[in-house]
Amino acid sequence: MKISVMDPSLPGALQKILPEMDLWKCHQCGQCSGVCPSFQHGGIRTREIIERASVGALELSKDSSIWLCMMCQGCTERCQLGVDPATVITLIRNLAAEAGNRPDHFAEEAKLFIDTGLSFPKTGLTKKLRKEMGLNELEVDRSSLEDLKVIVEKTRLGRVKLER
Amino acid sequence: MSGEFYLFRGCLIPTRLPFLERSSLFVLDKLGIRHEPLPGATCCVEPIGLRSLALDTWLVTAARMLSIAERGGKDILTLCNGCYVSLKEARHVLESKEERDRVNSILDEVGMEYKGTADVHHLCGTLKDMESRIRSFVVSPQENLRVAVHPGCHIVRPSAVTSIDPRFSPHVLSDIAKWVGSEVAYSEDWPKCCGGGISGISDEISAGVLEDSVKEFKGAGANTIITPCPFCFVQFDIKQKEGLPVLYISELLALAFGAAPESIGMKYHRTKVVV
Repeated sequence: MKISVMDPSLPGALQKILPEMDLWKCHQCGQCSGVCPSFQHGGIRTREIIERASVGALELSKDSSIWLCMMCQGCTERCQLGVDPATVITLIRNLAAEAGNRPDHFAEEAKLFIDTGLSFPKTGLTKKLRKEMGLNELEVDRSSLEDLKVIVEKTRLGRVKLER
Repeated sequence: MSGEFYLFRGCLIPTRLPFLERSSLFVLDKLGIRHEPLPGATCCVEPIGLRSLALDTWLVTAARMLSIAERGGKDILTLCNGCYVSLKEARHVLESKEERDRVNSILDEVGMEYKGTADVHHLCGTLKDMESRIRSFVVSPQENLRVAVHPGCHIVRPSAVTSIDPRFSPHVLSDIAKWVGSEVAYSEDWPKCCGGGISGISDEISAGVLEDSVKEFKGAGANTIITPCPFCFVQFDIKQKEGLPVLYISELLALAFGAAPESIGMKYHRTKVVV
């Protein structure tokens, strides 16, 4: 058995994905939160997220604190029991995003990625600076964008609602 | 023209910080590191926001790029901690046959296959083995700099994936700074986060995390920050309020190698560097 407690009301998606993680190993020692720079400024409470995930007490469609992790991977590095909180948080975020809970900031980034192949916008300044620095025009070729389209359709990003 | 590496520029450097691309090309060419652009490159997938929305999209997209590199028979060289960890971690995950099969069933639809023969490197990791060569090109020792060394999270974490520096007391960046004549005033024992990962999500927390680092740098008497990550660079150059200038690793080397500051776009720094 990998998860010590499993709430029957846990959303199906969470049930499916989290048993692959070794949440039962967590002893709630708090090393993850101790090293977390976001927590030190009142952000994500990693230890609590792990506990909540293991008993299914997370509101995937509403919990906004899961988005306050900066993915510095400090928790995963310090966890001596192999729980890998950064990956647990990533999986929870994946499910939350599918349930419509994601920051607009990341949704905009995703749209840009799908449309242009890049995660940052090419602006007038991009063009000006590249020219001044003697660099070639920045262009993701059409066939790569077609590849990306296929990949997005076949994977989770294709199912995340990106409009506000 | 063939090269030793496929250079993967990422998104942030070529769109917002092209001057860092310029100094990187200067340094690579000076050191004789042969490279050519990775054909068909897209975003790596960005490992903090985008990967958080869709892990499988990240994995297949990264695998596509890795398979392009392996088809060309070259490793990938990145200029960004984000690209490095994204591609390197994808490689790590794809060691599992189950994951590989799943990814390849999608890659097959775009006519590609991931085998796992091309590795991923970060500029920092490539420079670390070039001490004598780097020293030999220094014509303008950067002796005025008392640097605070900020490797950025994803040079060392997750350590199961990265391979440049130890997770405690990393030293590669400090070593490079010393090779070009700078004094190391502060070296992070546990690489700190710059706060960039939640910039735009919670600017308050982001600013607090950033300030924690900068205060320690200033307290140690540093007059310049050194980083190999463009995300950290943006935090320090644009978001930071304390006025401590930052140099990206290739800028430090380019200046030491005698590049004219205007030729590598030093004027585009928001927090001005006195050179």
